[in-house]
Amino acid sequence: MSEAYPIIEHKYDVVVVGAGGAGLRATMGMAAAGLKTAAVTKVFPTRSHTVAAQGGISASLGNMGEDNWQWHMFDTVKGSDWLGDQDAIEYMCREAPAAVLELEQFGMPFSRTEEGKIYQRAFGGMTTQFGDGPAAQRTCAAADRTGHAMLHTLYSQSLKHDTQFFIEYFALDLIMDKDGSCKGVLCLSLEDGSLHLFRAHMVVLATGGFGRAYFSCTSAHTCTGDGGGMVLRAGLPLQDMEFTQFHPTGIYGAGCLITEGVRGEGGFLVNGEGERFMERYAPHAKDLASRDVVSRSMTLEIREGRGVGPRKDHIYLHLDHLDPAMIDERLPGISESARIFAGVDVHKEPIPVLPTVHYNMGGIPTNYHAEVVDLKDGNPDAIVPGLMAVGEAACVSVHGANRLGSNSLIDLVVFGRAAALRAKDIIKPGQAHAPLPKDACDAALGRLDGFRHANGSLSTATIRDNMQRVMQEDCAVFRTSKSLAEGVEKINKVWEQMPEIKTTDRSLIWNSDLVETLELDNLIRQAVVSMTAAENRKESRGAHAHEDFPDRDDENWMKHTLTYHSDEGGVKIDYRPVHDYTLTDEIAYIKPKARVY
Amino acid sequence: MVELTLPKNSRVGTGKTHTKPDGAKNLKTFNVYRWSPDDDKNPAIDTYYVDLDTCGPMILDGLIKIKNEIDPTLTFRRSCREGICGSCAMNINGTNTLACTTGMDEFNGDINIYPLPHQPVVKDLVPDLTNFYAQYASIQPWLQAETPSPSKERLQSKEDREKLDGLYECILCACCSTSCPSYWWNSDRFLGPAILLQAYRWIIDSRDEHTGERLDNLEDPFRLYRCHTIMNCANTCPKGLNPAKAIAEIKKMMVERR
Amino acid sequence: MGMRAPLKNVRGLGSAKEGTTHWWHQKVTAVAMIPLFVIGLAYVICLVGADYATVYNTLSRPFASLVLLLMIAATFYHLKLGLQVVIEDYIHTESTKFILLLLNSFVCAVVGLAAALAVLKLALGG
Repeated sequence: MSEAYPIIEHKYDVVVVGAGGAGLRATMGMAAAGLKTAAVTKVFPTRSHTVAAQGGISASLGNMGEDNWQWHMFDTVKGSDWLGDQDAIEYMCREAPAAVLELEQFGMPFSRTEEGKIYQRAFGGMTTQFGDGPAAQRTCAAADRTGHAMLHTLYSQSLKHDTQFFIEYFALDLIMDKDGSCKGVLCLSLEDGSLHLFRAHMVVLATGGFGRAYFSCTSAHTCTGDGGGMVLRAGLPLQDMEFTQFHPTGIYGAGCLITEGVRGEGGFLVNGEGERFMERYAPHAKDLASRDVVSRSMTLEIREGRGVGPRKDHIYLHLDHLDPAMIDERLPGISESARIFAGVDVHKEPIPVLPTVHYNMGGIPTNYHAEVVDLKDGNPDAIVPGLMAVGEAACVSVHGANRLGSNSLIDLVVFGRAAALRAKDIIKPGQAHAPLPKDACDAALGRLDGFRHANGSLSTATIRDNMQRVMQEDCAVFRTSKSLAEGVEKINKVWEQMPEIKTTDRSLIWNSDLVETLELDNLIRQAVVSMTAAENRKESRGAHAHEDFPDRDDENWMKHTLTYHSDEGGVKIDYRPVHDYTLTDEIAYIKPKARVY
Repeated sequence: MVELTLPKNSRVGTGKTHTKPDGAKNLKTFNVYRWSPDDDKNPAIDTYYVDLDTCGPMILDGLIKIKNEIDPTLTFRRSCREGICGSCAMNINGTNTLACTTGMDEFNGDINIYPLPHQPVVKDLVPDLTNFYAQYASIQPWLQAETPSPSKERLQSKEDREKLDGLYECILCACCSTSCPSYWWNSDRFLGPAILLQAYRWIIDSRDEHTGERLDNLEDPFRLYRCHTIMNCANTCPKGLNPAKAIAEIKKMMVERR
Repeated sequence: MGMRAPLKNVRGLGSAKEGTTHWWHQKVTAVAMIPLFVIGLAYVICLVGADYATVYNTLSRPFASLVLLLMIAATFYHLKLGLQVVIEDYIHTESTKFILLLLNSFVCAVVGLAAALAVLKLALGG
């Protein structure tokens, strides 16, 4: 190493990494439970990507018609294409109404019905009567800025609870002991370049998804899956990484999100022949089929020459037939986005849209208490002591092979709260921390120092661009054996470029060149395991649409993929069984059947 | 006393002019404020040429292209790139706004970029907003009510909910506060437009029962009454909000309750 | 300052729980000055070029004196309030600010009272 890095040590009961919806909810709960809690975040909390969620948060409040959590659960299981763990899904759907009401009590500015209750809108895949009834209005909304309203509300609650924040601190690596339990996390303060070791009895990873592995995504620039990268480097697995959700309606070109709530409020998709093609693909749910179905349908339309525009390479989303007053009340945010990024007046013209990478169903495997699990000595649910994961970073798995719209925000708060409840049960406040070996941080420091002084031939931006293009091309909506085999080869080539990386900024103060390089190191590992897992799964399920294996194969593939990654050994694949049981006897296991909308 | 000129060490000099990309026909000139705490040098303006034919349409796209292809040391905050997170607030050709929602085609000539005015600079375009955030915390931006919460949601009429529109959308980007001359001179005691708008968002919320205490906390010659209705806040807000109106409403309430 | 918590700085000495009267009076005097100045100016325009006796006769009438007295009161009170804000805005050295604020109050009071005395002298005959 070129120089010695002094490390400032902090001791907490719990450290939460990430301050988006899940991180803030976990932090708040931990602090309220009397645990000494620190929240470490690389951006100011209200800049986290939860802020960009638009349409809403699902919960069977039944404010707009009959509803119950069992129906919500059925829809979620079906949406997951039976890859979701039903005990966790039951937990989420059962706890959802209380979690939303809690947000309202915190002051979240939900839109309202005439009776003054929380307004709920229809969303893709949300039905009644176990799929046999009409669409459910289950998605609680604050106009089309629900994530913004929620994140600001949660941040203000954490101010109320005097949470200790470490803002603009970038988490470098987990500090694990030789028995495989997590002892803390090493972070870099951007403001002055100092290094901080946060010792904790529980580290909670709430670091979000890794959408930026792709060239075009709805995700923020900061969605670099830092938790996933740290977990892989710690020798732990990521789960179901082949399942990447393409949101049907990203703005053509810019990739910015247009909420599914547009279709929930009556908008529809139209191809180059002016046809509402979703009626063909999903006769019952039409434009409100689940996202994987709609994205595939759009891709097929474009592929068969029925796209719109001069190059016939996108689709139109119409809402110009809707009442302008309704649009202004319930969809003001996307009207603004469409104007800025597509130059479109939604009152008069359709929005040009394209399926765009939006969400990672996969992530750090956890149980429904948010504790990270690993396959160990034949036990697929072996808990990794001292480590939790929540939010998009985690794979509980409630979303299975495909997430339903508005189930992510509820995932954040339900499992953020679950993490806090669990931590309260297993951690005694103020316990002493066992000393760490002297070299505990050496590997992490070596990595930091290596990148800081990296002087190869390829810039961070070049390698990142190479990675993003491979992922965009070969890990897309439709996949074939050929595209995936090529993809694996190409993404490994990009991985091999990493030792050739070059950074320019040598400063330690707000060195964003270094941070982007560390982020790339997190991204590329997840891109590699993602592509490898996709190549490995020889079936089609949810968002993983394999053209050479077009059917779901429950006999061989109803199992979670576990992917491990090491610098020397590359990717290792293993499996965990899908939980085919529920939490209570209030609902029976929902047996797999054909998935039609 | 008022400082009418910049202190010696903050006088902005001419920086490096980077070479034009080969073969580019459609160039845009970016003049960007640079300052690093690592050396004792004064701030300087670096000049970059961006090829518009291979660049996205927004100012942020231009900055990212510069960082990716010309100068990786250029430092700025960015995240959502769709105008909802508030990270990339900066001063672009004299106006505080978000780089991600401002198109390059909005300007004919050069694009001059500075950090948000009158905040300490950490590096380049990254301002230190600690004081701004602390002011936000000081207004206690959470629901305060003694009436026990009902088992379901607190009811709120559509009309009462509508009063929050134009307020709750604030993204705390600090464009308005750092455009306000009154905030420039007195940001230690004046809360500034963004925070007063946030304060009004809770004052006017029909579910909040601490209206009086909130007004008490604001009733101060500096915290509230440094607002002289200059209106820069309303003109600059990248989300189209009107903090000046919210402040006027607070002042009206102050008179009403006497 | 650098070692203190930012919230400590922001909260400072707490809210003064005043300022509304100042703000309201400034608005009220501003509004009052509109008609008062219209009438006052009308008098001045009418009396341009007139001799001393005419001016004396006109301005010593009760209505004119009343308008002038009100105008002087509103103007100097408004001036005092306004200058106070300017001083508070721009002067950040506590001692200088204190002296200037005192000076502002005294000067406005003295000049205002002198003006009022002149009108009273006209009105009451002297």
